[in-house]
Amino acid sequence: MKKGLVFDIQKYCTHDGPGIRTTVFLKGCNLNCAWCHNPESIKKIIEIYFTPEKCINCGNCVAVCENGAHLIKKGKHFYSRKKCTLCLKCAGVCDSKAVECVGKEMTSNEVIKKVKEDFEFYEASGGGLTLSGGEPFSQFEFTLELLKKAHAERINTCVETNGAVEKSRLAAVLPYVDLFLYDIKDTGTKRHKYFTGAACDRILENLKFVDSKGKQTILRCLMIKGVNLTAKHLANIANIYMHLKHCKGVELLPYHPYGTSKAEKLGASRKKNTRWIPSETKLQRAKQLLLKKKVEVIE
Amino acid sequence: MEKVRRLSDFTHKLNKTALSGKWGKGLTDLEITLDGNCPQNISEELEYAYCIKLIAENASIRILPGEKIIGSATLKQSAYHKIPVMKDGKIRFPSVSHLTLGFDFALKMGYNGLLKDIEERKLKNDLDEKGSNLLNAMKMCIEAANTWHQRHVEALQELIKNSRAVEKCNYEAVLKNIEHIPEKPPSSFYEAAQSLYFMFSFQRLCGNWSGIGRIDEMLGGFLKKDLKEGKVSLSEAREILAHFWIKGCDWLGFEGSQGGSGDAMFYQNIILGGINAEGKDITNEVTYLILDVVEELKINEFPIAVRLSSKSPEKLIRRVAEVQSLGGGILAVYNEETVIKALVKFGYPLKIARSFANDGCWEILIPGKTAFIYFPIDVFLILQKTLGVAEKTTAKKYGSFEKLYGAYKKNLSIAIDSFNRIADKDFASGKPATLISLLIKDCIRKGRGYNERGARYTVFSPHAGGLQDAGNSLHVIKSLVYDKKTVKLSGLVRALKNNWEGEEQLRQHILNSMELYGNDSKPADTMVKRVLDDFLQLTGKVKERKGVLRPPGISTFGREIEWREKRKASAHGYRQETPLAINFSPTPGSDKNSITAVIKSYCFMDLKRLPNGTALDLKLHPTSVKGKNGVAALEGVLKAFVKLKGFFMHINVIDNKTLLDAQKHPEKYRGLSVRISGWSARFVTLNKEWQQMIINRTLHK
Repeated sequence: MKKGLVFDIQKYCTHDGPGIRTTVFLKGCNLNCAWCHNPESIKKIIEIYFTPEKCINCGNCVAVCENGAHLIKKGKHFYSRKKCTLCLKCAGVCDSKAVECVGKEMTSNEVIKKVKEDFEFYEASGGGLTLSGGEPFSQFEFTLELLKKAHAERINTCVETNGAVEKSRLAAVLPYVDLFLYDIKDTGTKRHKYFTGAACDRILENLKFVDSKGKQTILRCLMIKGVNLTAKHLANIANIYMHLKHCKGVELLPYHPYGTSKAEKLGASRKKNTRWIPSETKLQRAKQLLLKKKVEVIE
Repeated sequence: MEKVRRLSDFTHKLNKTALSGKWGKGLTDLEITLDGNCPQNISEELEYAYCIKLIAENASIRILPGEKIIGSATLKQSAYHKIPVMKDGKIRFPSVSHLTLGFDFALKMGYNGLLKDIEERKLKNDLDEKGSNLLNAMKMCIEAANTWHQRHVEALQELIKNSRAVEKCNYEAVLKNIEHIPEKPPSSFYEAAQSLYFMFSFQRLCGNWSGIGRIDEMLGGFLKKDLKEGKVSLSEAREILAHFWIKGCDWLGFEGSQGGSGDAMFYQNIILGGINAEGKDITNEVTYLILDVVEELKINEFPIAVRLSSKSPEKLIRRVAEVQSLGGGILAVYNEETVIKALVKFGYPLKIARSFANDGCWEILIPGKTAFIYFPIDVFLILQKTLGVAEKTTAKKYGSFEKLYGAYKKNLSIAIDSFNRIADKDFASGKPATLISLLIKDCIRKGRGYNERGARYTVFSPHAGGLQDAGNSLHVIKSLVYDKKTVKLSGLVRALKNNWEGEEQLRQHILNSMELYGNDSKPADTMVKRVLDDFLQLTGKVKERKGVLRPPGISTFGREIEWREKRKASAHGYRQETPLAINFSPTPGSDKNSITAVIKSYCFMDLKRLPNGTALDLKLHPTSVKGKNGVAALEGVLKAFVKLKGFFMHINVIDNKTLLDAQKHPEKYRGLSVRISGWSARFVTLNKEWQQMIINRTLHK
């Protein structure tokens, strides 16, 4: 059985679709958004998280590394990503988790087994499985397999997607998805391309397609001050919502800079854009604007 | 969620004053003494009754303008859990707590009905001296209660004389309402609520801390009738209950000797919902009105536990989730299906089991029929002694895991035998508690008091503490010492004796790589279950002896703080200074997955074999209950808890940022309440260690 690359499984997620859900985060993303909240999800390989504060200077990693990527000097731990070949041996011997793997290979059965553990909670709350990422479609076959197996186990399914995917792939998963958490990152074509690396036309096209097939959606709209928190973008969202037949509502998600500390642990540089954080008043105003246009806003 | 406002501005004002702690701070320090106020050479029972008489005659009466429910317990000594009467410079009699009195039958009969029962019993002419002293003392206690009532009547008449307009009308209405009760049975909802409060508060005035029990079952019928006859409206009834709840704050703000555990430990628990003796769900308008009141006024002075089952009305579960999501820890829940099963399995008749309530915390008892105490046994300390980690013990060798386990079980068995010998002796103080005995079934019939096995059920429960810590430790030892042979037992014991000094790598390995109880992980859960099953097997050998029932429970109630010293460091990676698990919750910080995983681990245990109960204490971040779906998820948690056969659970909705800020700036958080276990307290009134215990609880998102 082909394995997938999972970087987290979180139980008791209460805002990733209806009821109590287990969210499975798959690694790999086809976009590269400047504001990414989960930078550890972008690359489709196992990476190393390095948290020197956790190091207890046992030296296990130094001993096991064949490339000299780890060095402990005067009680300080240095890790060179240049020398590192990602053989991951160090993570295997680190007891304090100063060095750990991000991403784990799992079979779909292993994932489903974990997801099934909370079955009673799904039943009691109308919840189930949510696939998120990264972009689940970047592991299309694995995603399809998980969705099929979840449905076979009578588990409700949600997929969070950025929508920048091939229509045929969307069509293939449709029978096994109960609801899409559909990202609308921006509606300004140029801006979308500039900040995410892809145009938004196909995304909006795909959204219409999903809706035309009778699939329920929730639109997830990241609110970034100075980027897309504009009356025009909000009006566009309302317009998109109005033209969908099966959309359950819109979620407004404020940008937060927590992704930057995770990026740091990965050795990736990402600017902490505190100026992007929208104020509570601005968010409320955005919400009111949508409500005025009769958009269902989900808290 | 938007703020609801159903109650009147006046009630809110009254509430604000009560929550400010004004009444608790202003309790009277009155010295009442038996010396010169009581005949010489009378029996202890009668001397007790004189104490009650003196309290009734001397305690100050406080009636506030506009309050609908009256009867304040105004004496400072009572809030110290003392009967406030001295003899020769000492408190004469101990008071009683950890019980729920039979307010249900007393309310129906009125004091006059009880008096009649006493007279009839006396007419049988078969009481010994002790018995007839008890019954005579009981009569005196009722007379005292009536005196206290009469003093309220006179105080009201005086107030009416000196007031005008609306205020006067209010006093007149209150006076009219107390015309017949609590001597006679109530004839309306308003009278019933007042009568119940009078009976309850008089006990409190006399230093006894009882739970109230199933208030919606007691008052529901009266309200239904009054609503039908148009005597009262729902909103009027809500106001009456709100005033009842505000009255319950009378001791709030009292800065007495509550130790670490804060200001609200008066054990005045209330139970809502559930089935009656016939198996019919009793949830009614009173249930919902009370939820409205606590939601709006944020009063947690009556810690409430709701009895849920798979047949609970949807509306009830939703309202419970809604109120829980607001924080404050006001509501906890029982899964009554497990509780009733456990009681029946232990030997209680089904109808009796169905009427269960608690002791003012969460331990299960049959209200109005039970005398209760419990005995804590630190089973984790027993394991530490077996290993030779604990103080004054030396490291021992065990050739196999089973040999180690066998030695532990033997030591546990010795501890339980010793408990049983203690339980054979006198129950509690053995002293008179006549005012209590009056509202406990069979004391009149037997002519014996509460502390003399007069109650229908005299219960002395063995309570295991640290059971999951013992299981966690054994799981780690089995895996690392005996299965993988990573470390020798002698090395591990040395590390624990040294509080993990110099063995940080091993400790980190355990903390990061071993899944402990609370993660829905079978290896650890199975070990904890084994430890539980053995405790139950050993305690099950003596269910009853010498007239004392011994249903087991699992608890620590915060004892894990004082137990640290003897326990030393634990094999599951905790240093000595860190308090281990409370009740049947995971060791703080070891539940790394989710609230659902914790619930599954807890429910993996055979909880229907714990007739005295056990609690799961959880903490949820406010963001996870936000919005409609947050509340719906919480509703799902409650339903799944029932389905998975849980026992008792409470959830604090709070973030640590708030708690840490409250430690720094207590003045900003005077009203912030947290549920500790069976009871709640205002966070800022807890001492530092108890505050830390709440902060250390794993915060689930």
